Amino acid sequence: MVEQAEKHLWARLLAWCRSLAGATVIGTIVIALIVTVDRGGYVLVNTIVTGGMTALVAMGLALTLGVLNIPMFAHGEYFMIGSLTAYYVFTPIKTYMETHPESILALWGPLVTIIAAMLVGAVAGVVSEVLVFRQLRQRSRENWVMNSFLLTVGLSVLMINAHQLFFGADFKGITGYFSGMPINIMDVYISKDRAIAFLLAAVVVTGFWLFMTYTRTGRAIRAVSQDETGALIVGIGLNGIMMLTMALSCALAAIAGASLLFMYPAYPSVGLEPLYMAWFVVILSGLGNVLGAVMGAFMVALLKVMTVEYIGSGWDFVVPSALIIVILIFRPSGIFGSEVRGVLDK
Amino acid sequence: MDPKNPINKLLDLLCFTPAGLLALVVLLVLPVVPPFNQEYLIRWLISAGLIASLSIGFDFTAGLINIVNFGYAAIMGLGGYTSAILADRLGLNPWFGMFMGALTAAILGLIIGAITLRLRGIFAACLAWFFGLALMGLATKMVWLTRGPLGMRVERLFDTASNVPYYYLILAMMVTVYVICKWVKRSRMGMAFNAIGQNMEAARTSGINPVFYRVSNFVLSCALAGWLGGFYAHFYGILTPDMMHTSKTVEILAVAYIGGRGSLWGGAAIAFPFILTMELVRSSLSNLPGLHLVIYGILLIVVMIYYPGGFAAFFDTHLRKPKNKVVNYFINGTAMENR
Repeated sequence: MVEQAEKHLWARLLAWCRSLAGATVIGTIVIALIVTVDRGGYVLVNTIVTGGMTALVAMGLALTLGVLNIPMFAHGEYFMIGSLTAYYVFTPIKTYMETHPESILALWGPLVTIIAAMLVGAVAGVVSEVLVFRQLRQRSRENWVMNSFLLTVGLSVLMINAHQLFFGADFKGITGYFSGMPINIMDVYISKDRAIAFLLAAVVVTGFWLFMTYTRTGRAIRAVSQDETGALIVGIGLNGIMMLTMALSCALAAIAGASLLFMYPAYPSVGLEPLYMAWFVVILSGLGNVLGAVMGAFMVALLKVMTVEYIGSGWDFVVPSALIIVILIFRPSGIFGSEVRGVLDK
Repeated sequence: MDPKNPINKLLDLLCFTPAGLLALVVLLVLPVVPPFNQEYLIRWLISAGLIASLSIGFDFTAGLINIVNFGYAAIMGLGGYTSAILADRLGLNPWFGMFMGALTAAILGLIIGAITLRLRGIFAACLAWFFGLALMGLATKMVWLTRGPLGMRVERLFDTASNVPYYYLILAMMVTVYVICKWVKRSRMGMAFNAIGQNMEAARTSGINPVFYRVSNFVLSCALAGWLGGFYAHFYGILTPDMMHTSKTVEILAVAYIGGRGSLWGGAAIAFPFILTMELVRSSLSNLPGLHLVIYGILLIVVMIYYPGGFAAFFDTHLRKPKNKVVNYFINGTAMENR
């Protein structure tokens, strides 16, 4: 009996490995290992840290695409909101810590900062859903994908320049959340900030996945993404779910922005790079596929790190764009495909 | 007011109403009227004219077949760089180079269109965007060809320091772009575009091949962008990869949509007052950087939600149908499509 189950499992695993998704994932891991052996461990570390954070942004983007059918162009701006909030919350904490080094905030300050950024990001998401997207949804659902896309373009311009207007265009950054020596693992030095950022990403992705899979609300969100009318029939409140989705996806972007504040200081157009990366990921892994976005994020991160490593910095837009174009030609629905056809059919 | 009148026939051929003609005449005499005869104001007018022409070309795709070409500025930049490089390396006449720019832009448009336009609209927007990003990256990194972010010096079209000849040139180009787009829109092809834009399945059922028409629309629109890019290069005299940035596309897009999608003339009509006001806001309130772009964003959102037809729809519903015969002639002309 056990043997049979084991055999069945192996057969399924083999089939997955032979499918395109499995082949790409395995290929990515092999390439990552080869590059690591060739150039040293820091490539792997960079890939994992960048990938973890890209996964957060891309997951939010995939969620808005799947549930609300909005191709979000303004998602990077919630990243920007996160980093801006983190800067303004963390700076007073830091000055307080200088006078009270033994305070409990030394350990918990960064966490408080990131939670504050998450909350502000969620509120920003709710506000833009209520003030902008719901207004359009009530008026016209005709040609929704294109129109909402243009709305997000306007939103992006608005937020970038409002940042410049109210907070100035200078770089508002910190040197790091944690001071102290970097951690040494197998001759690779990882700063504490990077390690914590990756851990945080892992925790958030796992928590998010559990939420989507095992809670009633998560199931409701997935139901709406599969079929809006059907969800309405079984008694799911659409407005609430859409607001919640928007809050969640914007909060994810804001977490990424806050925990990467030491790498990307807050300035008006800081969100553009994560936005491009997230779009690469979402197209690569299939529009609206949330779990695929996590795997896709590591692939895009590896691709980017490799481009910088072998070709030179500055090419890291050209090579991924070229690859995405090739993928779009041959696999318009992405590598992992997507069970959510909504966006594609409208 | 007789449609057989030669003047009316000419107007009909050029797709202008008497009111449109009057607006054009106003634009023609503007550089000699006092506040506008200063060089910096003429420069603003030229940039408004360029945005107006680009918004016509953009609207040709966005308004008619409902596909947002998100790499429009990059395609314009490709035209500009082609023309500039040909003039610089091969000594090609810039007037001819501008057409070569249009040709390369059209070829790129053909490639993008052939790849994406068999898919849904949002893919075309994304892919054109990625093409734009890749082009901008290439222009930044191929320093041996484009001098990258340092900027490439380009020979100017006219030998004078005055900006007035450029102003008349861009007006002429704007009218040309408008007339070309309008002629295509009037033809059988334009009807097919309209049908595809309104309902693709219905159009396909009535025997229209959507891929062919969408690709040809896309190619024409890209070619116009490349041609105008040539003007950009030879007017400003310097090219940086920044001109291909997505924010430039957003600028064109905002003007086209506030003007009214699908109308072709709306963007051109709104561009002049709009760009002048924005430049005025930017230069007079320079202690508030970014304010004019905040206004941009808010206007775009408000128009998209509350008034999706833009200025053109406002004009059509409130001003198009006057009781008075003379006024009616003035606004609508005698063309059949306006009745």
